[in-house]
This record gives sequence, C-alpha cells and structure tokens, in this order.
Amino acid sequence: MDASVWRRLLSAPALLAEAAVLLLGGFLLAFWYAPTDASSMGFSQKIFYFHTPIAECALVAYAVAFVAGVLYLRQQDAKYDRLGLAAVRLGLVFSLLVMGTGMIWGKAAWGTWWAWEPRLTTFLIACVLYAAYFVVRSTVEDEDRRATFAAVYAIIAFVDVPITFFATRYLPEGLHPVVFTSSGTGMAGSMLVAFLVSMAGMTLLLAGLIRLDVHVQELRLELEEFKRSLERGPL
Amino acid sequence: MARRQFLAILRKDLLTELRTRETLLAMFLFAVLALVVFHYAFDPRGTLDMTPYAGGMLWVVFLFAALLGLNRSFAQEKDEGCLDGLLASPVDRVVVFAAKACANLLFLALVQLLVVPLFTLFFVQHGYAGHAGGIALVVLLADAGIAVLGTLLATLAVNTRARDLLLPIVFLPLVVPLLVAATTATTAIIAEGAGLGAIGGRLLFLGAYDVVFLVAAYGTYDYLLGE
Repeated sequence: MDASVWRRLLSAPALLAEAAVLLLGGFLLAFWYAPTDASSMGFSQKIFYFHTPIAECALVAYAVAFVAGVLYLRQQDAKYDRLGLAAVRLGLVFSLLVMGTGMIWGKAAWGTWWAWEPRLTTFLIACVLYAAYFVVRSTVEDEDRRATFAAVYAIIAFVDVPITFFATRYLPEGLHPVVFTSSGTGMAGSMLVAFLVSMAGMTLLLAGLIRLDVHVQELRLELEEFKRSLERGPL
Repeated sequence: MARRQFLAILRKDLLTELRTRETLLAMFLFAVLALVVFHYAFDPRGTLDMTPYAGGMLWVVFLFAALLGLNRSFAQEKDEGCLDGLLASPVDRVVVFAAKACANLLFLALVQLLVVPLFTLFFVQHGYAGHAGGIALVVLLADAGIAVLGTLLATLAVNTRARDLLLPIVFLPLVVPLLVAATTATTAIIAEGAGLGAIGGRLLFLGAYDVVFLVAAYGTYDYLLGE
C-alpha cells in the first residue's frame, strides 16, 4: 500500500469508523461469544472488556503527551503543543471513565463504591494531576511560554504516575512484601479474543479522538487568523 | 566557578531571610497552629494515644509549611526584579536551581528542627530517642524531594498569572508518592519502633524519588526560566 492509502486509513473519520466497528464487535463478542466468568465474579467480569482497554488508553494518552512534551521542548514546534493538549484532554476523559467503570465493578465485586485499591487510587491522583495541566495552561498568556510550561508539566506528571502506582501498591504494607497474585491469567481463548478486539477498538478510538481534537484546534487557529485578516479590512 | 556562584546565591537567600525572618517565622507559626488544630480535631479530650497517626500529622504540617516557604522563595525574587538580575548575570541556570533548592531545604529543615520536639511533646507518649537517626534519615530524604520538586514547580508557578495560587495545585498531586513513603516510614518508627532494616525499602524509594526528580529538574529547568 502506498502512503496516501495509509494516510486515508489513519485520518480522524476513518479511525473513528474503524473504532466503531471494532468496539461494536468487541461488545458483541464480550456478551455473546465469551463465556460468563466461572469464578465468583460471574457476569460482572464483563466490564473488564471495557474497563481495562479504557485504562490502557488513558495511560497511552499520557505517554503521547509526554512524548509530545519532549518533542516540543526540543523543536519548539506548536504542532506538538496541540498534540500534547489533545492527548492530556483525552487522557483525563479516559481516566474519569476508568474510575467510573472501576467503581461500578468495585460495587459488584466488593460491595463498595470506593476502595483504596492501588490502581483506583493511582487514577484518582492522575485525574487531579492532569486537571492541574489545564490550570497551568490557563494562567499563562504568552503562547510560547504556555506551550513550554505545559510541556514541562506533562513530562513531570508522566514520570510521577508509575511512581504513584508503586508507592500506593507496595509502601503501605510495610514489613510484609506483597506477592502479586494474578487473578486468572489463564483467560479462556474466547475471552481473550473479545478482550483483544475491544482493546484494539478502544485504542483506535483514542487515536481518532486525538486526531479530531488536534484538527479542531487547527481549525480554530485558522478561524482566528481569518478574523484578524477581516479586521484589517480589504486590501 | 560554579561553586562560588552557588554559594553566592545561597548566601544571598539566607541573608535576606535572616534579616527579616518573615518566611521562617510564618512556617513555624503555621506548624504550631496546625498541631493545635490536630489536637482539637482528633483528640479534644486528650484521652487517645495519637502515636499511630503521628506520621500523617507530621507530614501534613511539613508539606504545607514547605509550600509557604516555596512560594515566598520566588515571590520575593520576582517582586524586586531580582530574578531578572540573576538571569542576566552569567550564571548557569542549573546553579540557580541548586542554590534555590538548597535554601528551601535549609529553611524546611530548620523549621522541622523546632517542630519535631514540640510534636513529640504534644502527641507521642513513649520515647523514641533510640530511633532519632532513622527519623532524621527519613526527614532528610523526603525534604530533598520536596525541595527539588518544589523549587522546580515554584519557578513554573511564579512565572504564571496565578502565581502562588498555582503551586499547591501542581505540587500536591506530584508529591503524593513521597508523602506515602515518608508518612508510613515515620509512623513505623514512632509507633512500632521499626529499625532501619524494616524501613529500608521506603528509604530506598525516597532516595529514588529524589534522584528521578533531580534528573527531571536538570532536564527541564532551562526551559522554565526562559531566555
């Protein structure tokens, strides 16, 4: 395939359409193809086909913001600032969804809406952390400086996320080492298929939304430019 | 050369503070008041043993006292145009950062030196003198992290429109891991008499946190100070 075909496949509308197909497929597979979980989780386990891909996408979005931050600092190109902003915005939305679906699952599994579980706690802190990204942006007027500060902040924030997870998971236990007990890595084949389709769909959704967000930002810039040229009056 | 510049900036910060004593006094008074409020919030009748909560109370106080100091450390520079002077002089940005971070570390440590005995008097019912070394190590490692991250973010905050309003918003979520480690380690020492071996993992974590953000600060500080 030549480059133009790829470009068309990776445009925002195409990505969103691909995501819609895969997510719908993942939904159907999760409910009608994959068996109901044999353990005590039962039907509530179905939320994992959505909860986990959303969580993965939130982290991918933050990683994109980190890379965009580094690239912006190196090249001072405003397109990386727009990419970083789009990524953080979507990372935040996905993080809120992670917490929402996590709480629903917590209610079903543990009988409580909130537990200080390391992953849930980490996402809570990530939400606060990345919400502050927008406060940083809104308090700097100069465009170059705003982009620089946002880039620095996105870099530091991304460094902090895994550290927070580590701290909430391993430190409070104190003397006793935590032994990671995986709850069923032996996922049934049909479950894995449904999960992977859902995961791919969610990732494409994220990619499509990021592209869309960047595109909207570019259009807004063009509009500003156009308005300014109108104000200057006819030549 | 860098060493002399570093010492000059550090000396300037210490001298300004010693002449006015504004920041240190504010930090200390805040800490004492917070301890009083903790008493009335958690144990107004004075009948409970508060040692299991010692770490949490102590680090909340330290963290907010540090915020007071961090905000001041750059607000003054900015108001008097001193920062511009510093940047115009042929000094490496990293040297400015190191000196400011050290000054902030010293201020915080000084306040802690006064607050920890008071805190012990108020809330801890059994002696832990044998573990003073462990406490000192935890405090020192956590302070280093607070000073490094705090100085980095204070520089960012002071250059925005929100100024001192922004610092807590960006600083507090980033410092959560450090807070978890320092709090649990302090409580383990004071309440359970844990030795260095038992909190070794957390000390290691605090040290790693310091190093990670030192590297992050080294990589990004130039950009924050601008041209």
